[in-house]
Amino acid sequence: MAIGMVEVEGVAGIIAAADAACKSAQVELLGWDSIGGFTTVFFSGSVSDVGAALRSGEEAARQVAKKVVGAALNQPEPAIRQYVTLPVNKDAPIIPGALGLLETQGYGLQLLADDRMVKAAQVEVASVLTVHNRVVCSLIVGEVGAVKEALNVGRELASGSAKFLTSAFIPRPVPQLFQAFGRR
Amino acid sequence: MSSPAIGILETRGMAALIAAADVMVKAAQVEIAGRHGVGSAWVTVVVEGEVAAIEAALRAGQEEAAKYGEVVSAEVIARPEGLDQMPHRSAAPDRPLGTQALGILETRGLTPLIAGADAMAKAAAVSLGGWASIGGAVVHTAARGDVAAVQTALDAGLAAAAQSGDVIATLLIPHPAAGLGRMLPAPPAAEVASCGALGVLETTGYVAMVGAGDAAVKSGQIEVSRINIGTGGRVALLFKGNLDDVQAAVEAGAAAARQVGELNASRLVSRPAPDLMACFAAPGPRKERANGQALGLIETRSSIGLAMAMDQMLKAANVEYEGSYKVGYFLTASAVRGDVAAVQAALDAGAVEAAKHGELVAIHLIPRAYTQLTEYLSH
Repeated sequence: MAIGMVEVEGVAGIIAAADAACKSAQVELLGWDSIGGFTTVFFSGSVSDVGAALRSGEEAARQVAKKVVGAALNQPEPAIRQYVTLPVNKDAPIIPGALGLLETQGYGLQLLADDRMVKAAQVEVASVLTVHNRVVCSLIVGEVGAVKEALNVGRELASGSAKFLTSAFIPRPVPQLFQAFGRR
Repeated sequence: MSSPAIGILETRGMAALIAAADVMVKAAQVEIAGRHGVGSAWVTVVVEGEVAAIEAALRAGQEEAAKYGEVVSAEVIARPEGLDQMPHRSAAPDRPLGTQALGILETRGLTPLIAGADAMAKAAAVSLGGWASIGGAVVHTAARGDVAAVQTALDAGLAAAAQSGDVIATLLIPHPAAGLGRMLPAPPAAEVASCGALGVLETTGYVAMVGAGDAAVKSGQIEVSRINIGTGGRVALLFKGNLDDVQAAVEAGAAAARQVGELNASRLVSRPAPDLMACFAAPGPRKERANGQALGLIETRSSIGLAMAMDQMLKAANVEYEGSYKVGYFLTASAVRGDVAAVQAALDAGAVEAAKHGELVAIHLIPRAYTQLTEYLSH
């Protein structure tokens, strides 16, 4: 048994990491955690699965976020699981379709971008994550083409501003993603 | 959403936002729909109305906000879609404010806020209406009373706060607009009796506060009131007792905090106003804690660093995990229990491991932790 961890600046990076990790190996998403600007995602599995998931997770995170760090704990002490303050919510509804992430500094720009994205295509705002240090990330859901189109519109609006941080498109997110990052 | 348009004003600083929200509602036919903060003192108000009214309100709001802080963004959304479940919609309910004037004191750090609030309550017939933090160690408190009393109180509060730290703004609103109650901190829940003196020890980081608190409770006959988390990594321990004991505890605590980590400010408030006690020092939540065992604490600037260190600590010695706490500003801390030698061995191992994965902020060993302090700790 092992626990894998990926830590990034902002939160979009660990969503991408969690998705890649769960797709690349037999790992279970444990949850995530924010310490005021840095977030960490935790997953568990066999030593070899966690090793593979960690490599994919870190790589996916680097495409999206800055200051990516990863580590694996082999044979972890049971108490480590208690450290995870936002465990996955197994009852959360699973939303079919694609997922778009748009991360900005400040709530004003995020509201404006969410409105434009919802108007641009048949998408919904599944959740808005505020992780302190001004970082706000919206999770946009809908069909692949709609999310892609909405994200283009959102990115175009936001990227003109110094407050734009990052965006990511996940055509087929693993369902567990919504148990960890959905509306709480 | 039923309204034809929404207006968004985001500022750095709460006095700026409250001032802006007040003039927006007065300048045009708009209503406050909610508010939301995203840390680092960035706060947003959302108003509803017709497009032309929103535009007029935003112009007035931006101008007013700039007097007290910084405008981050101002936007109009005509016919908003899909924003019904956005976080600002679940903000606090309105608390009708009546006809009294409103005063706001905003500072960086809790110590100047407490010093200022005490001076306000003592200077004029005002009541303190709670306090709140908005990230980046920026905190504010509200006072109510007639216009002259609030003005007198703000003058006194500004002078006292400036002596203990940074003042960001003071704000006087003679007749608060409808709905402004949604912008204000929750009022104190219950009355709290005054005491000889109130001691405040404010640190950056959790472990420094615990070290300071341990020295404080061992230096004299004081009673811990609560721990206030001020964001931006700030943690303030509040305790009460008679003047001499509190003075000794503040001195011992401040010295210990400097040894363990970073002391931000310390303060002795003699004969604190009852309103000040209700506002800041109401008895905090308590947890049942083991007595007699040593307490070991470690704090880092990385969750991975802390998890790796904790794993090593639990493997290196016969210690038990007690809990963790995150105070913001990239800081995260954990506590373990065991006998003194085991906790020391665990901390040694943890410090080495944490340093491999980022910044180690503090480690601290308390051979005999008093439940007088530990019951109030947040981890």
